[in-house]
Amino acid sequence: MHHIYCPYCEEAREEEEYSYTGEAHIERPKDPAAITDEAWGDYLFFRSNPRGIHHEMWYHASGCRRYFNVTRNTQSYEIHETYKMGKLPTITAKTIAADTLVAQQGDAS
Amino acid sequence: MSQVNRLAAGGRIDRSKPMSFSFNGKTFQGFHGDTLASALLANGVGIVGRSFKYSRARGILGHGAEEPNALMQLHQGNATVPNPRATQVELFDGLVSGSTNGWPSAEFDLMEWVGKIGGKLMPVGFYYKTFMAPQKMWMTYEKFIRKAAGFGKLSLEPDPDTYDKLNVHCDVMVVGAGPAGIAAALEAGRSGKRVIIVDEQNEFGGTLLASNQTVDGVDAAAWAEQATTELVGMANVTVMPRTTAFGYYDHNFVCALERRTDHISPVSVSGSRQRLHRIRAHQVILATGAIERPLVFGNNDLPGIMLANSVSTYINRYAVVPGHRCIVMTTNDTGYQTALDIQAAGRTVVAVVDSRHAPDGRLVQAAKAAGIEVMTGHGVIEAQGSKRVTGAIVAPLDETGDKLTGTGKTLSCDLIAVAGGWSPVVHLSCHTGSRPVWQDDVAGFVPGPTIQNQHLAGAITGKYRLSEALNAGIKAGAAAAGTESAQVFNCGDESEGAAQALYLVPHTKPSSRAPKQFVDFQNDVTAAGIELAAREGFQSIEHVKRYTAMGFGTDQGKTGNVNGMAIVAKTLNKSIAETGTTIFRPAYTPVTFGALGGRDIGVLLDPARHTAMHPWHLANGAAFENVGQWKRPWYFPQAGETMQQTLNRECLAVRNSVGILDASTLGKIDIQGKDAREFLNRVYTNAWSKLAPGKCRYGLMLKEDGMIFDDGVTACLNDQHFLMTTTSGGAAAVLGWLELWHQTEWPELEVYFTSVTDQWATCSFAGPNSRKVLEKLCTDVDLSAEAMKFMDYREGTVAGIQSRIFRISFTGELSFEVNVPADQGHYMWKKLMEAGEEFGITPYGTESMHVLRAEKGFIIAGQDTDGSMTPYDCLMGWAVGKTKEFSFLGERSFSRPDTARADRKQLVGLKPKDPTVVIPEGSQIVMDPNQPIPMDMMGHVTSSYWSECLGHGIAMGTVKGGSERMGETVYCPQADGRVLAAEICSPVFYDPKGDHHND
Amino acid sequence: MTSLSTNVSAGDMMESPLHHHADHTNASAGGIVMAEDKFRGHLNLRGNPEDNAFTSAVESVLGVALPLKANTSARNGDSVVYWLCPNEWLLIVASGTQGQVEGDLRLAMGDQHIAITDVSSGQTLVNLSGSGLAQLLQKSTVYDCHASNFPAGKVVQTTFAKTGTTMCKLEDGSMDLVIRRSFSDYFFLWLQDASEEYGLRVA
Repeated sequence: MHHIYCPYCEEAREEEEYSYTGEAHIERPKDPAAITDEAWGDYLFFRSNPRGIHHEMWYHASGCRRYFNVTRNTQSYEIHETYKMGKLPTITAKTIAADTLVAQQGDAS
Repeated sequence: MSQVNRLAAGGRIDRSKPMSFSFNGKTFQGFHGDTLASALLANGVGIVGRSFKYSRARGILGHGAEEPNALMQLHQGNATVPNPRATQVELFDGLVSGSTNGWPSAEFDLMEWVGKIGGKLMPVGFYYKTFMAPQKMWMTYEKFIRKAAGFGKLSLEPDPDTYDKLNVHCDVMVVGAGPAGIAAALEAGRSGKRVIIVDEQNEFGGTLLASNQTVDGVDAAAWAEQATTELVGMANVTVMPRTTAFGYYDHNFVCALERRTDHISPVSVSGSRQRLHRIRAHQVILATGAIERPLVFGNNDLPGIMLANSVSTYINRYAVVPGHRCIVMTTNDTGYQTALDIQAAGRTVVAVVDSRHAPDGRLVQAAKAAGIEVMTGHGVIEAQGSKRVTGAIVAPLDETGDKLTGTGKTLSCDLIAVAGGWSPVVHLSCHTGSRPVWQDDVAGFVPGPTIQNQHLAGAITGKYRLSEALNAGIKAGAAAAGTESAQVFNCGDESEGAAQALYLVPHTKPSSRAPKQFVDFQNDVTAAGIELAAREGFQSIEHVKRYTAMGFGTDQGKTGNVNGMAIVAKTLNKSIAETGTTIFRPAYTPVTFGALGGRDIGVLLDPARHTAMHPWHLANGAAFENVGQWKRPWYFPQAGETMQQTLNRECLAVRNSVGILDASTLGKIDIQGKDAREFLNRVYTNAWSKLAPGKCRYGLMLKEDGMIFDDGVTACLNDQHFLMTTTSGGAAAVLGWLELWHQTEWPELEVYFTSVTDQWATCSFAGPNSRKVLEKLCTDVDLSAEAMKFMDYREGTVAGIQSRIFRISFTGELSFEVNVPADQGHYMWKKLMEAGEEFGITPYGTESMHVLRAEKGFIIAGQDTDGSMTPYDCLMGWAVGKTKEFSFLGERSFSRPDTARADRKQLVGLKPKDPTVVIPEGSQIVMDPNQPIPMDMMGHVTSSYWSECLGHGIAMGTVKGGSERMGETVYCPQADGRVLAAEICSPVFYDPKGDHHND
Repeated sequence: MTSLSTNVSAGDMMESPLHHHADHTNASAGGIVMAEDKFRGHLNLRGNPEDNAFTSAVESVLGVALPLKANTSARNGDSVVYWLCPNEWLLIVASGTQGQVEGDLRLAMGDQHIAITDVSSGQTLVNLSGSGLAQLLQKSTVYDCHASNFPAGKVVQTTFAKTGTTMCKLEDGSMDLVIRRSFSDYFFLWLQDASEEYGLRVA
């Protein structure tokens, strides 16, 4: 059971209060009519499925009803950060990779 | 005294409270403080069950959670419980117990010949190999296997007990109240943090309760009592005995099962029998201890062969010595303590057989000083006996323990205490995905790295001395609580010799021909079986586990896994570290389904949502239907009516006069802001820019893939204020959908959404007389056809209540919906019933609503659509705005090649050729009923009803290219062999011009 | 914008969500006491907390500053404002005054981007108290209601059994809960069951 910090309620809450709502930072094409079927298909159906760092949206359904972003390790379920809608992550697979060069020894994989 | 193995004094039992209990039909005596296992041993009961595969006689091996053999069937009738370990069952007066298997009894088991004769014929993978083919026989095989192999029986009656759950939060959670756990809890508790400490036993103390050691000069058990008293006295510390932390989940979430009344009676007299604690801890300290390993030698499963520390525990804690002539076989110093304990209890120690050649620790010295014979460099290679051990063949071993260096001799005995080293209890540490790591100096797996806020203390880290455990506990407690402590315990246990790692005692014959050398007692896995699996090509330890079943079941490899993995490693010529270990899943020990269900059963299983008018529906005999979580009136039967007769009456009332429906469950979303229109333009298929205040419009909502997801009518209350309705089941999803787009893509739009589903009660009344009913109650709104047109909205007073009045129709008749604040909903309903009485106003339910709307060809999103239907597929292109500026959600997908195909399944009307037929919903549709199977499926029937007003069955369904097939005949083959023919037609069966609702 | 004020004059017209449970007192020693504070005015308020014009307009009408900090409330006599999210509040005012309050708020705010929605009938305010309260809450909600985490005045929206609630701790240690009308029967069934070992009194 995850324990997730809601950036709007400003405290960690139990997973029961939230719903997972998919990959974060997928932007709707500004002019859908102008893009190819393939590009539209990518937007509709294709999602990344990384083993490791993933940026995803969660909905605080039983709480403040805000959507927000979570940087989470899909393997260890460690949550690295949560951040408000419209913001960008400060922790990514890249920054983690740089850090792990130093401290990989203790990784839970 | 019938308790032949009971000591006259000592132990933590209360001899003033004798208790009688039964086992396999015989009555025995025990004492308060006994476990079922200690009481059975006290009475000299040897055989407690039969083994899983070979049906061998089995006795008690351990004294706690590690026990693989003594699985019991407790209690009788509907209270019966399968598979608790006798070692964990507290004795109470009148306890009824029995073996879980063995037929006709565990003592005389007719299946044993199968094990004896079939031993060679039942190698590992036996079931896979033997019952593989033919596949259709599997069901038959399975019945036989289950009967022969099962453990325990469930009652088929309802469970007489209740169970509940608590959500618990703390700063520090300590799992295990042995020396390390108690020390940790003391340290964390003294800091003032919120601390919870759980232990599966009835008493705190763990190994301290059976120890002859001292803590800072105080007798170990007395120290445990003092410390527990201090913990109980701290207001910030919750002390929970009889509570097993069985699962450790992500982000320091621990589930623990508290057995509240299992030690008192079969069924709880009051309150819950068991309570599940769902614990969120900031810090978790695992002080789960270690389990002693048995030694693997021939016939090592005979009753009378027990773990050495269990023998010590039975002697010191329960005052029970489970044998008279005892051999201790050990690979380390702790076995010597058992020899000393046996001797002190007045029984004979035949010899301590130590695989090491030159042991010299403190306890070794003490044993020698006590005159106990010590055979170093020897091992028990085979036990003798049939229903109980009667002797042991002891033979000399080389330095490594791998080879015999001489011939053996036979020593007679009735108890072999085995001390094969210790395996840290890493189970919980694995539950969150952490892999244990092998440590050669410990000769065991210890918890691996983790991302949890987890601390370890005591034997779980492979440090087995008492002082080490206590001091590690203090350290862990301080680390978890963020304090510092200089406290150090002294137990005078510094000198202890090194242990030898010995996982399989060699025999004169190879394992395949030696007497069975058991590794996993519960699953009957032998050394030979594991070697065979490795030779057959199973190299991954996970595959070996699944092929041999090692570590399966309720046992979870507690005693057997390390020996088994070492044997695999040796067979594969690898190190144990290279071979690795399987990991453990929750639950550590079995958990009742009752506890997992808690109180979420019966009427509390799923919330039933009720409208304000629910009491009226109940009082008037409504039959209810579940719509999402709502209980909606399905139909209102009158005495003597069949359901169809009720529906016919209700539908005709609407068509001919007036009927009334509780439509309160429709989702309602209040939308305010100057960009509300623009927002509606983006989320609905049609245009909202010109909808005037006082007007309503039907809208279709699509997902971005162009498929219908919800629909409903939205009213313009004023330029910046709209009221959206959704389907009854879709309200939360639609609100979440609107918020999603507003919060993620279009935050610049000035609009707010608020759910008002529960705020408004909705009375929908339909039929040619509906206006007359409303006119009787409403005087301040001009309800005439000219003044209040179809799809108009007005505010006004109805029955003295300020109301929102909508002229909308889901029946095809003249129809009004009156919305009032739900506090007044029941009153409004009653007023409408009164006003409608002269017109025979008829309450109707969802089923008649479905018939009436289907007669009009109106869809139900989620019944006629299934997430794969576009508006065009539903022949609802009229509801799609073609010239909207903003590319509304889903629009772009219309031109995707797949969405634009002409032969997509389309929703059409279906008129049965035989007018008396109602085609079952869900029927598949084919064009040629004579086509051989597999037939070409053209679609399926989504809605189908008897229409009393039309006098024939009607249906809607999806058909490939259906819009171009009007007039064609389709067929619906039925399971009973009938083939029902229907003609494709317009789905609008009734009043296609809409004269009625426009009246 | 216009709003419909609720007519609260006629007693028999109105039924609160929990009205039919008033007789269910089943214990002389009520370890749990449930009191429905029925027919209060509930207004959902939306607006921009960073806009002074908005916050001061609200304060001028309510006589108390809007709580801007997460999970807090502000009380003025019998009226209370709950923080629900950074731009959403719940106003609970005296029975029957919600129409007036809404009108005053709209007047004070002019053409600001706000929303006010009357939800008085869609939910009800319930107070739970008694010696068994702490454990009853542990049975019912995943949120940590211990005083160290849930001081008086704090407001939390969370789960309650299988429904949701907005909870506010009072100075006397009792808990106010906002319960949705359609879930109120389920709420009461749950409450009856969960309080069985303590006794339940309906005040």
